[in-house]
Amino acid sequence: MRVILLTGKGGVGKTTLAAATAVGAAARGHRVFLLSTDPAHSLGDSFARPIGARPVEVAANVVAQEVSVLDEIDRAWSEIQAWLAQLLREGTDEIVAEELLVVPGLEELVSLRAVREVEALGEFDVCVVDCAPTGATLRMLRFPDALAVFMERFFDLKRRIARRVRPLLEGVGLRGLVPGDEVFAAFERLYRDVDDVRQILLDAERTSARLVTNAARVVVDETRRSFAYLCLYGVATDAVLVNRLLPEPARAGWFARWAEREREELAALEAAFPVPLLRAPLRPTELRGVEALRALADEVYGERDPAAVLHRGRPLRLRRVGGATLLEIDLPNVSKEEIEVAVHGGDLLVHVRDALRRIALPASLAGRGVAAASLRGGVLEVRFE
Amino acid sequence: MPSGTARVVFYTGKGGVGKTTTAAATAAHAAARGARTLVLSADPAHSLGDVLAVPLGAEPRPVAPQLDAIEVDARAEMERHWGSIRDYLVALFRHQGIEEVVADELALLPGAEEMASLLALEEHAGSGRYELIVVDCAPTGSTLRLVTLPEVASRTLRLVLRVQRALAAVVTPIARALVPVPLPGSEVFRDADRLLYGRLAAIRALLLGPATSVRLVVTPERMVIDEAVRAHMDLCLFEVACDAVVMNRLLPPEAAAESFFEDWGRVQEERCAEVAELFAPLPLLRAPLARDEVVRVAALAEHGARLFAGAAPTARLCQASRLRFARARDGWRVDVPLPHARGAALDVAKLDDALLIRAGALRRAVPLPRKLARLSLASAKLEAGLLVVRLVAPEPTG
Repeated sequence: MRVILLTGKGGVGKTTLAAATAVGAAARGHRVFLLSTDPAHSLGDSFARPIGARPVEVAANVVAQEVSVLDEIDRAWSEIQAWLAQLLREGTDEIVAEELLVVPGLEELVSLRAVREVEALGEFDVCVVDCAPTGATLRMLRFPDALAVFMERFFDLKRRIARRVRPLLEGVGLRGLVPGDEVFAAFERLYRDVDDVRQILLDAERTSARLVTNAARVVVDETRRSFAYLCLYGVATDAVLVNRLLPEPARAGWFARWAEREREELAALEAAFPVPLLRAPLRPTELRGVEALRALADEVYGERDPAAVLHRGRPLRLRRVGGATLLEIDLPNVSKEEIEVAVHGGDLLVHVRDALRRIALPASLAGRGVAAASLRGGVLEVRFE
Repeated sequence: MPSGTARVVFYTGKGGVGKTTTAAATAAHAAARGARTLVLSADPAHSLGDVLAVPLGAEPRPVAPQLDAIEVDARAEMERHWGSIRDYLVALFRHQGIEEVVADELALLPGAEEMASLLALEEHAGSGRYELIVVDCAPTGSTLRLVTLPEVASRTLRLVLRVQRALAAVVTPIARALVPVPLPGSEVFRDADRLLYGRLAAIRALLLGPATSVRLVVTPERMVIDEAVRAHMDLCLFEVACDAVVMNRLLPPEAAAESFFEDWGRVQEERCAEVAELFAPLPLLRAPLARDEVVRVAALAEHGARLFAGAAPTARLCQASRLRFARARDGWRVDVPLPHARGAALDVAKLDDALLIRAGALRRAVPLPRKLARLSLASAKLEAGLLVVRLVAPEPTG
């Protein structure tokens, strides 16, 4: 099953374009599942009908669902929740406990578990995901790394301590504060689930991210950074969708200066992204309903199949050149000063600004130092000793 | 204004409504009027530097006379503030064969970003260097996490400490023999205490104090307004004061007159009236769309001057009563300010997780926190512009 993630800065029109992508793909005969993982769901507005946590058919060959994070967490990890809730309960308000046990990053990953479930049904060719804004999506991409650290280093240790001290704490009346075995088992399940989701995200043949943007400078700046981060975390981006372009009748008159800005930003976008740039016009009214969405999909995708892989390229590659092994990471729009590279045990650590990626190295490279790292034409090359 | 403590204004709203521009414009305008001002970005996807067109870092950087700006960096803040707690964690990890780098990863853990922003905010608010601090928050959900973090963190930490103390005092000698792990020394507890009773309590007092308020930013779009209504409810639940709503991206009359934007102009007037009603008694500040993009300090200051139209950007713009949730003996009490309502024909109903209110021509839906959604409506009474609703646990059935 093909997975298409639409993400971008808040307010750029992700939801509308996700809905249009789904309707457009269905018009070409694909069976499409449309999933919203943005906690501020708005898919229902695009289809002018309520959509909830249960899948509903919203158009021919399009089934839609808005994932409820709180319910998903309740369902999947009630043991972890019960323990945390107990920790927080002492003299507190359950409202606070319940609503705040949603861990940033976990939220989006939990939602993406739904992608696996859609795949397991075997009834769909394409799953289009309307993601949360960029900040949250990036947190989601970082989360597996953070969780891996927690699981590998901290978790086993905790479990060992817990097993041994639980009887002692029972003696002093603090038993409830040490997680029981069922909590640890739940953490392990969580870890496996997260890893499965990660595998889906990193499979470039199956999964593509599409960045939605507007032709305004502040939005373009953020889109550039997001593109680099997606590359860093190994998620393949196959298109940039530029939304809300001023249509011809609005380009003269009061908006003339904006139209000029738009031309400049479009030129900058074309230079900055090595993937197809698709365009969608601003509408005079809020866009709603299946017919309007299909018309928008035609305008955006033209002859292209919205479900196709629109650009092939692996953001992370291992190559052998002569006797040396070379790891290449696409990092467009990043300067040399913003990158730090180090080897740590079996991992390569790449810092890009405040983002950190741990890349597990193949056994043949583990333990070898970095001989050289260079940034050439938007590609970071790491040469191993 | 008492010396030493700065006035703190948070801007929040759905993604893309123009929070960063509004925050930067407020700060630039206030600085131009003579207030020593800091604008602080607490959104991990920072765009403050993009809007000011100046590269920013984790330390305040002067961007104009009287105006500094900062983008909080979770990693840097963790390093600065966690002292020996961090050293303990690093020691703990190192014992497992892991080096320092793991400490960086602490900055990836839940709540770290919000904590980093709060620590930076509290430090600058108390420094005496600023009269006004404007905070550009992450989108709505994260803002709630930000303002409630001190409360949740202090509870959690207190419990973790209890366990750790018990471990240290009761089982350390035994545990040492069983598990080869360094247990925290007394200096770690001292740091934790300082953090818990000192910093967290101070942050909480700052957030709930009279010098702090939140302004909600919206645009004339249905989904944006709906999300702001819910955020307003959440903030009221946590007793954080809101003092204004900013309506952004209003088409000026000349632009709305163009035929392509006709419908737009009509819709936006309806939405403005609706927002004024929904958030009453909060004042509505109107921000017209500019002819060109609003970047750099000069354009931002001009935008700010239009937005406040003579009002002081540092003032608390609303002192009146607000939506309030309070625990009562047998359930909850909800106070809904309805300054424009007339007593005639009051009708209140509860439907799932919302209160539906009708008072004369006024209709309003107030979303309820998840926990309150399970209660049933006991009574509703309108007195001097305030609707008092009582919710109680439903009668057990069967």
